[in-house]
Amino acid sequence: MRKTLSYLAERALLVLISIVVLFPIAWMFLTAFKQPRDAYSLSLIFEPTLQNFVTVFSAPWNLGSMVMNSVIVATVTVAIAVPCATLAAYSFSRFRVKGRKFLFFLILSTQFIPAVVIVLPFFLMFRQLDMLDTRVALIIVNLAIVTPFVIWMIKGFIDAIPTDSEEAAMIDGASRLRMIKDIVLPMAAPGIMTSSIFCFILTWNEFLFALILSRRDAVTLPVGLVSFRTERGDLWELMSAAGVMITVPIFIMALFIQKHFTRGMTAGAVK
Amino acid sequence: MAEVQLVDIEKKYGNFLAVPKQSLTIHDGEFLVLLGPSGCGKTTTMRMIAGLEDITSGDIMIKGERINDKPPKDRDIAMVFQNYGLYPHMTVRQNIEYPLKLRGMAKAARKDRVHETAKKVELDELLDRRPSELSGGQRQRVALARAIVRTPSIFLMDEPLSNLDAKLRVTMRAELKHLHHELGVTTVYVTHDQMEAMTLASRVAVMREGRIVQLDTPKKIYAEPADLFVAGFIGSPSMNLIDGAVKDGVFRADGVELPVDLADRDGVVLGIRPEELDITQDKGAAISGNLYALELTGESTLVTLRNGPSSVCARGHADFEAEINSPCHLAPKAGARIHLFDRATGERLG
Repeated sequence: MRKTLSYLAERALLVLISIVVLFPIAWMFLTAFKQPRDAYSLSLIFEPTLQNFVTVFSAPWNLGSMVMNSVIVATVTVAIAVPCATLAAYSFSRFRVKGRKFLFFLILSTQFIPAVVIVLPFFLMFRQLDMLDTRVALIIVNLAIVTPFVIWMIKGFIDAIPTDSEEAAMIDGASRLRMIKDIVLPMAAPGIMTSSIFCFILTWNEFLFALILSRRDAVTLPVGLVSFRTERGDLWELMSAAGVMITVPIFIMALFIQKHFTRGMTAGAVK
Repeated sequence: MAEVQLVDIEKKYGNFLAVPKQSLTIHDGEFLVLLGPSGCGKTTTMRMIAGLEDITSGDIMIKGERINDKPPKDRDIAMVFQNYGLYPHMTVRQNIEYPLKLRGMAKAARKDRVHETAKKVELDELLDRRPSELSGGQRQRVALARAIVRTPSIFLMDEPLSNLDAKLRVTMRAELKHLHHELGVTTVYVTHDQMEAMTLASRVAVMREGRIVQLDTPKKIYAEPADLFVAGFIGSPSMNLIDGAVKDGVFRADGVELPVDLADRDGVVLGIRPEELDITQDKGAAISGNLYALELTGESTLVTLRNGPSSVCARGHADFEAEINSPCHLAPKAGARIHLFDRATGERLG
C-alpha cells in the first residue's frame, strides 16, 4: 500500500514537472495553428489554420530571408568552428607543450565574459569595417562565441580515446594529419557530431549579437521574432508560427544527437 | 633485415632520469628481449627506437643510418602494442590492410597479402568482423598480423602476450618463435615475464632502473647471473639467496654450511637454484631446517624449508611427501652451480 502510494506520488510529480516544462512549447505549437481571435484562448478546441505560416513568409514579415540568414550563419559557423576546434582540441589533448593548461584556461575563460559587455566593442569594430548588417559579421561573432566551447567539448571526447591506436597508425606509416583523418576522426565522430549539433543550436538561437549587429539584410530568426511585437500589440499567432519554424530543425537535431549519444566508437581498440 | 644501434642514448622527463646513458647493439635477425620489472625503462627504450618518444641525448642507428629525427612512419618498423592498438572502426581485414594501403600497394596485391597473412595467424575466417566482436587472443592475433603483413626491417613487441590467459600465452609464444624463425626479422621484445624472455630470446637484456645490468644469451644469464638482482629475477621459482658469511672456506648461515672457493668475509649472499638441490636423509647435509611448505606443481613438488631467517626451496620429485615442520635436509647436486654475491653492492663474487 505504502509502495503504491509512493509510486503514485512519484508519477504525479513527474507529470507535474512535464506539464510545467512542456506547456509553453505545446502552447506555442497550438497557437501557431490558431486564428488571431483564438490566440489568447486556453481551449484546445479551435478551428486550425495554416494561414499564420503563409503570413509570416510574406511581406512585410519575409521570414524566408531570416530562415536563409539563420541557416547560412549557423551552417558556416559550424563548418569553420568544428574543424578548427577539432585540431585545437587534439593539440590540447595530445601535445605536452609548456603553458598548455594556461592557454586552455584562457580559451575557456572567454566563455565567462558576459556577452552584453563585449557587444558594443563588436558593434564599433564592425561599423568601422563597414560590416554591420552582414552575415559575415554574424559568423565572425558566432565563431568567437562557439569555438572555445566546441574546443572544450571535443577535447573531452578526444581525451577518452586511447593513444595506442594513434601510435599504431603512425608506425604503420601514417603522417600525423593522415592519422587524425583515418583514426582519430572516426573514433571521435560521435563526440564531434554531438559538438557540431550543439554548436549549430547555439548559433541558431543566438539573439543579442544578431539584434545589435543586424538591421535589415542579415536579420536571423530569433531577432525576427521581435518584429511581431508591433504597435497593434503582440501578434502571438505569427510569433508562434515563426517559433515553430525555429524549433522544428532543433527538435530534429536533438533526435539525431540522442542516436549518437547511445553508442561509442572506441570499443575493441584496446584491451 | 637490420642492425639496430643505440649509442649513448638517454631519456629524461623533466628532472626524472628514465633511461640513463647507455649503448646497445641489436644484431641483424636477432630476437632481443628487454626484460625487467615494471618501471625499469624497457618500454621507454623500445618507444625511443620506434620514434614514439624523443631521446634526450645519444643516437639511434638503423642499418647504420642515424634516425633520431625520422618520424615513426619512416623507420620501417612494425610494432605490436601491449593493448593491441587496433582500429575499432575498421574490420579485421581493414586493420591488417592499413599499413599496405599507406604504402600505396595496389588493391589486388593488398587483398592477396592480407589473406595470406590472416591465414598465417588463423584469422582468415574472421576478416569481416570488427575488433569489438573478437576475443582477447583474436585481437592480439590481429595486432600481430598487422605487424607482419608488410615484412618490416624491425619488429617491436611491447608485452604482446601480457593480456592473454596462461594457455593462450604459451600457444602464442610458440607462434611468435615460429614466425621469427620463418621471417628472420630483427625483433625487439619487451616483457617482465622471464619465462617469455628465456623461451623466445636470442639474447636477453635484463634492465633495472633504466640500466641494462646484463646482456647475454638466456642460457648464460640463467647460469651466470651478473649480480644479485639478475640472480633473483631469473628463474621460476627464483634462485635461493641466503645471507651469511665465509669463514675458513665455508659459507655459514642458519642451518647452512657449504664449502666455497672464497676468502673469508662477511656480508655474503649465497645463491643456488631449487633444481640444483637434492632432498636427502643425511643429517650432515649442507642445508638443514624444518619443512615449511610443500607445493605440488604437477611435474614436481617444491619443498621449502626454514631455519631461522633462512628459507630455502628445492625442486623435489612429484611424489615427495613429508610432515610439515619435520626436519628436512638438502644437498647440492653433483656439479651444482654455487653463486656468491656481495650483499652490500650486489656484485658477483664467484
